[in-house]
This record gives sequence, structure tokens and C-alpha cells, in this order.
Amino acid sequence: MDSPEEKNIDYETGTVSAVDLHDSVRRENPLDKGGQGRIGMAAVVICCFILIIGGGQIFQTFVANGSGFSSNIYLTKDYQPMPRPSLGGDAAEKEQVAWIEDWMSDGKKVYNNCIACHQASGLGIPGQFPPLVGSEWVDGGTKRLGAIMLHGINGPLKVGGQTYNQLMPPWNNLSDEKLAQVVTYVRRSFGSLPEGEDGVVTTEMMKAARDEFGAHTGPYTEAELLAIPADANLSGAKVDLETGDPVGGG
Amino acid sequence: MTVPKPTVEEMQERAAIDRSARYPVLFFFTSAAAWLFVATILGFFSSLKLCVPSLFDSCPFLGYGRLFPMHMIALVYGWAMQAGIGVMLWLMARLTKNELRYGTTMIVMGHLWNFIISLAVLSVWAGYGRSIPLLDFPVWVWPMMALTYALIVVWLIPMFRSRRNSYVYVSEMYLVGAAVWFPWIFVAANLLINKGASPVMGAGTDAWYISNLIYFWMGPIALAVAYYIIPKITARPIYSYPLAQAGFWILAVLAGWTGFSRYMGGPLPAWIPAVSGAASIFILLAVVATVANFLPSLKGQTKLWEYSPSLRFTVMGMLMFVVYAVLAALSSTFTFGKDLQFSHFQIGLDTLAFYGFFSMTVFGAIYFIVPRITNAEWPSGSRIRTHFWFSTYGIITMVVCMLVGGIAQGGDMAQWDRDFSTSFVNSSAYMVGRCIAWGLISFSNFAFLYQLGLMFVGKGRKTDGPTLIHSEPGAAADARAAAGLS
Repeated sequence: MDSPEEKNIDYETGTVSAVDLHDSVRRENPLDKGGQGRIGMAAVVICCFILIIGGGQIFQTFVANGSGFSSNIYLTKDYQPMPRPSLGGDAAEKEQVAWIEDWMSDGKKVYNNCIACHQASGLGIPGQFPPLVGSEWVDGGTKRLGAIMLHGINGPLKVGGQTYNQLMPPWNNLSDEKLAQVVTYVRRSFGSLPEGEDGVVTTEMMKAARDEFGAHTGPYTEAELLAIPADANLSGAKVDLETGDPVGGG
Repeated sequence: MTVPKPTVEEMQERAAIDRSARYPVLFFFTSAAAWLFVATILGFFSSLKLCVPSLFDSCPFLGYGRLFPMHMIALVYGWAMQAGIGVMLWLMARLTKNELRYGTTMIVMGHLWNFIISLAVLSVWAGYGRSIPLLDFPVWVWPMMALTYALIVVWLIPMFRSRRNSYVYVSEMYLVGAAVWFPWIFVAANLLINKGASPVMGAGTDAWYISNLIYFWMGPIALAVAYYIIPKITARPIYSYPLAQAGFWILAVLAGWTGFSRYMGGPLPAWIPAVSGAASIFILLAVVATVANFLPSLKGQTKLWEYSPSLRFTVMGMLMFVVYAVLAALSSTFTFGKDLQFSHFQIGLDTLAFYGFFSMTVFGAIYFIVPRITNAEWPSGSRIRTHFWFSTYGIITMVVCMLVGGIAQGGDMAQWDRDFSTSFVNSSAYMVGRCIAWGLISFSNFAFLYQLGLMFVGKGRKTDGPTLIHSEPGAAADARAAAGLS
């Protein structure tokens, strides 16, 4: 290409450089700050689209979903974690669990408070803690059981022909719902219920027990308990075991 | 709009700056290229494990769980960071018209960086990886990395402050941005993940870090390169300076919000993925600003595209930047994201950013810079052609396979009544494509490494005239136009 002499000539000014410059430096184009070109209409339209779509994303979460910047809302309306029917999955087909099964399994959890004395089997410890299985206090009306749950028992108590002298603590710190669940669990698991009796105690019934016996102070004695009629039930509507909805008075 | 031809004094000034930058920049480029070659080989073998899972079964050192993190660390910290630093140093020196100082410190720190990255890769290989994407290395590695990076890049700040132009060129803004943003995201992510954040937040922070590494470090450097290379080669100044500034500030404001949308639907407060998804969409405004700026410069420049290696790589990189930004925005919306998250799609998208847009743009810069700092021309145009086409076809094959495979996999995973293994069986065919793609990319980078090695040891072409992709620019009338080609 160029001879070494030609190479160092600046063609614009006609000067000759004393330093040998490499070709890559000489051929390089100059750089400038840049122009003031106008933005085309197409770019503006595209920007509008971007703003609308992005704004929609924010709007959906903050306004439509109503969550704002709150730190305890985790689900966005638009994000459906379950598969959509369009992908072949059927979201609605969730297996129905009967209400009573949920109620019983919750009651079983509450019963964990009881197993130290009455044991997981409900048989108690012979000579020390009375059994729940075959106990007339469990099998009879729910009024006595509700009273015992709320305030506990002190002193000798005859269960299944044997006398136990122990202190049962009151459980009135538990909610009506939890008490109802555990009483239901005890009656259905350990009791021998009469024909036609489902053994269910509802929150409503437990509330009635609290209204009736709440004023009592200290644990019950056997005599006080015997004053409550053996077959008296707590008042409250019976429920449908599938749905948990009340079915008429009772 | 024309700019006056530079005087001889200006040319001498350029030559002096190039001389001052020679050793540090060449060091970073060469070691980066070596890491890139290692990374592509690791990428090939980790992909092979997805095609033939029983391969090397008895050897834990060749399992996917170690090969893939090693591949990512080598690709990001070995190649991308070092190549990016090299580009930053040279561009900053040229743009601020300062000679590069503290070159020796930089080279020493560069060696240290290579040593630390080797330690990181080896400890993952030895089984001390932590399965945190891109931050896999043991916890003692990151403070050393942060310190070393700071000691290399801190010298850019005095350089920028003593700039000798009356204006701040767009590329300078991006370079300063990249220089200061990386330490912030790196230290913040590591502190949060290692100290304090709950595991759920840690995963989110990691996704934030990956997205920010792309939008706060790789993106700005790639854009700085493009805003430099495209006006240089086409001899057309940037179309609109205010538009370019707007693009910068949009990126600066929004990039930090992106990333969390990767864990949409997870146990994060709902507004975090929603806002970060919206930020990913709004960032497209910066992309529009960039494209609107480059299109007028590139209009009708088919000849330059045909012959100039720098322009071709840079424009291809920018093209992939647009594709990346659009796909990232789509996958961060709830509509598409919920079927794409946790699938190959995300890895494909990350690779598109690391190799597709960042690396391709930086290749363009390297093809421009190295002849100037070594005073020699690239040995062979056909090898550049090999590098370009194998890289381009490789990354396109890779990304298409990962995206389509990801859609298949994500769709399968979204169906609750389907066996989980189905999602892998159905996407396994695409993994063959991924494997082939890494093979192609590996081959292309062997050509690149070989070529750069020749330049490094002083075996470059000493004759005048740029090395072009095709050997002859054509008729004599084109000779003058060819002047700016490289």
C-alpha cells in the first residue's frame, strides 16, 4: 500500500509527521458528541405500547388485586399456581373431604393435650388415671362432659366401678371450637354411643356449655357432677356430617 | 453531518494512548479468551450430561452439578468480566484522552483475579459449590473478588474526572455506570445471601443479582462498545445525543428493579415480582432509544456489514440485546412467566445475554482494539469469518433449543397430573441441540483464541490495511471507504 514516507503525510493539512504512525490509527474515523436527531413516530408508538403493557402489570397487582406494597399478600390474581384447563389439567377437580374428617383430625391434634394421662388409646393408666373407653361420663349426655372440660375435676371419682383420686386441670383456656373438636374426637373414638347418636359436639354447643357453667369456680367434685342429669345434652343444632352445615334444631 | 479529519497531532495522541494501554488490555483480553475456551468446553460437557445422563456416572467430578456451575463461573467471571474490564480500560483511555496509568497494578491485580477465579472453579469442582446460580463459589471467595475488581476499576474514576472533552460521550456514561454498579450489586447480593436474608429472599436476591449483572454491567459495557464502534466505523456520529442520554438514565433507574419476577408465584410478597416484571417491560424503552439511535447510522451500510469484523460482531450483539430484552420482558409477565419459570428457558435466556449479546459485542470491540494496541493486523480474515458464523449459528441454535425446550418443559411441569419426569423426557431432544451448539461455539472460540494468541506473541500481520472478513473490499473506488472498516 502506502510507502513509509507517504504514510505520515496528513493529506488535509499537508504536514508530515516525524513519528511513524501505524495504519490502524491513521485510518480511524473521528468521533463526535452526536447529533440532535428527532425521534420517529414509530418509536413513540412502540414506547406507548410498552408503557401501557408495563402499566397494566402494575395496575393489576396494586389496584385490581388490591395488595399495594403490603408484605403479607403473596398471591397475585393473575398468577394462577394451579394448572389451567387449557393445558389439559382440571383445576376445579379437587377431592372433597367430608367435614367430619377434618373436624376429627383437628380434634385428634387437640387430644395431644390429654395423652399424658388418658393415653393415646384412651385407656388411661389402671389405678392412676381413669379410662375414656367405656366411661359413663363420656358415653352419657354432653352436658356433664362439657362441664368437666371447662373446669376439670378434683377428688375421688367413680369410673367404670373403680374410684380414682386425681386432679384433672381445667381446659377453659382453649377456644370453644377446639374444645368441641376434642370432645367430638373423644366421643366418636372412645365412646360407645347409643344408636342414632353421631357424637358430634359443635362450637355452638360448646359455647352453650360455657354460658351455662362459666360462672362456676374451681374444679368440680363428683357430687357436683352428679347433680347434672346424666342424659342432658348441650343445646345446639345438629350438623350434617358431610358439609358441617346445621340441620334443624336439636 | 461531517466531522473534520483528525490532525497528525491527534493521531499521535491516539497512538500514545494505545501504547500506554497495550499491556494491561492485551493481558485481560488474552486471559479472558483462554477462560472463554475453557468455559465453552465445560458448556459442551455439561450439556452432554443432559443428553446422556449416565455418562461418567461413577465420577462425581464430571457430574452436571459441578460442570454447569464451573461453566457459568468460567464464562461470567473468567471471560466476561476480564474482557469487559479490558474494553473498559481502553475505551475510557481513548474517550477521556488520557494515557492509561497504573498499568502494572492492573496487570498484578489481573493475575490475582485469574488466581481467585481458578480457586473458585476448582473448589466447585472439588465439591464445595453452593448451588446458588452465579454465586456458587465458597463464601470466602467473594470478598477477594470484590477487592480485586475495585483495585482494577477504581483507576477509571480519576481518568474520567480528568477527561479532556467539553462533553461527556455516551459511552463514558455507560462505562462509569458499569464500573460503580457492579461492586454494589455484587457486594449487596453476597451480603444478603450469606448474612441475614431468609432462604426464600436469598433465592430472590440471587435472581436479582443475575438480572442486574446483565442490565447493570454487561448491558452498559456492550452499549458503550456499540456507541463507540458504530459511529467509528460508519463515520456517522450518533443520531441523537439526548436520546442516547435518555436510554442511559432509563436503564440506570429501572435495572435495579428487575430480577425478582423469576420467582413469581413464590412465597414473596406479591408486589415484588409484579413490580420487577413491570420494570423488565419498562426497560424496553431504553432498548427502543438504543435502536432508534443506531438504525439511522446503519441504514444502507451493507458493504460495511459485509467487510468489517468489528461492525458485524457489534451489530449482531446489539440485535441479540434486543431479542434478549424482549424475551426477558415477556417471561417476566405473569401471563407467560408462570409456564416458563424453572425451565430451560431461563438458562437459555441467561446464556443469550452472556454469550449472545455481551460476548458478541465485546468480540467486535476486541477486533477493533487489538490491532491498535499491538500495531499489527489480524492474521486471517477467514478465521474471523469462522469465528463469526460458528458463534452466531451456535448461539442461535443454543437459544432456540433452550427456549423451545423450555416452553415444552415448563408446560409439562405446569400440569399437576403429569409425572414430573415427563417434563425432562419431552425436553431431552432439545438438549442434543444445546450440546451441538456448545460444540460449534467451542470450535469458533478455538479459532478466536488461536488468532488472539498470535497477536499476543507478536505474530500479527505487519502490512498495512485492515484485515477484513472478506479478503478484498472490491474495486479501487472502494479503497478509500475501506479505510474506516476496522
